[in-house]
Amino acid sequence: MAIQIDALKCGHVENCMGGGLCIKICEQGALVEENGDVKIIPEKCDDCGLCITSCPNQAISKI
Amino acid sequence: MSLVEREGMENRKLIYANDKCVGCGICADTCPTKSLILSPIVPIARGLIEMDYISCNKNNCVLCGLCASSCPFGVLGLEINGELISKSKQYPNWNNEAKINEELCFYCGKCVEACPRDSIFFTRKLPDINDLLSGEISIDDEKCVYCRVCEEMCPSCAINISSNNEFGVPDTIEVDDSKCVYCQVCKRACPQDAITAICTTCMFKENIDKPNIEGTIFIEGKCINCGWCKSVCPADAIDIIKPFIGEILRNPELVCKGETCHACKDVCPANAVEIIEGESKINPECCVLCGACVKACPQDLLSVKRESMALDNINSISWKDILGKLLE
Repeated sequence: MAIQIDALKCGHVENCMGGGLCIKICEQGALVEENGDVKIIPEKCDDCGLCITSCPNQAISKI
Repeated sequence: MSLVEREGMENRKLIYANDKCVGCGICADTCPTKSLILSPIVPIARGLIEMDYISCNKNNCVLCGLCASSCPFGVLGLEINGELISKSKQYPNWNNEAKINEELCFYCGKCVEACPRDSIFFTRKLPDINDLLSGEISIDDEKCVYCRVCEEMCPSCAINISSNNEFGVPDTIEVDDSKCVYCQVCKRACPQDAITAICTTCMFKENIDKPNIEGTIFIEGKCINCGWCKSVCPADAIDIIKPFIGEILRNPELVCKGETCHACKDVCPANAVEIIEGESKINPECCVLCGACVKACPQDLLSVKRESMALDNINSISWKDILGKLLE
């Protein structure tokens, strides 16, 4: 796993300006919505960083 | 669409056409007051969010026109008292263009299919088939038994056997001259020898003039002078002046995520990027060096090195400095 999500910056998916853009942009399916929050599935992440550059709240970062 | 408009000594208006915009961000990089903001181009290109490629902070914009002069694709324009500065002799002028020589073009339509911006339009008028092919088919009604052998075998579906009686028994045979190519398959297949066929074209084929295919073709709208049309044109009828000469550089120390990411490919307005064996590859023939891929790459793998640009008539020294940064 190479990314982490700051839950405080993220808020919840329902409040996201991009409507959960990180989930939509990840074609690996490594980000999923769980109980209104974004959850990462580390085994699926290929470390491309598209979610990091797309997040409107800058809540995602590399570890 | 008007981004900003103010009335003072002059009326100045900044206009923007999002449908033509490629999302390269050259304007935002050029803006001296940082009033133009480039939107997230990868989600827009993928259709995940809907918004314009750039937005403008109206309160900060000084309507100087640098963004309009920096845009190689005519997406932004500054109007002073209703006149576009790109048409003015005092302001810089882009010379990039794509031109089709209609004398050489024979309207094959390859460029129309290749254009990544759907900006080439053409129509053509084909010759009448009867001017190129003629003959005679005659059917002896006495011999024909309406067995439908000819109808089934005709490769151009030109024979029609039908019934004109109350019992529904076939009793009529017709040949459609506009479909028949006088191949004589019907004649050879007929078990009753009821068909005679002559292809008069064979006798006079030397006399038939080569048809003149007429048409019209033009480039309009979202063209970015990428050169796809030129690269596929079999008649060598297209001339392109690209906005920039240079290359896209790739940092060999960083890793391309290939098919996982393909952000560069998605944002490229010129369809110049392909992912080959997990690596993004840029076709320099069609790349316009706009730099959208550089901005999109989350790995910061790419950089654009422009050596020259088709922008001239930059009169002011400060504008020369600012617009010259496009080449750094």
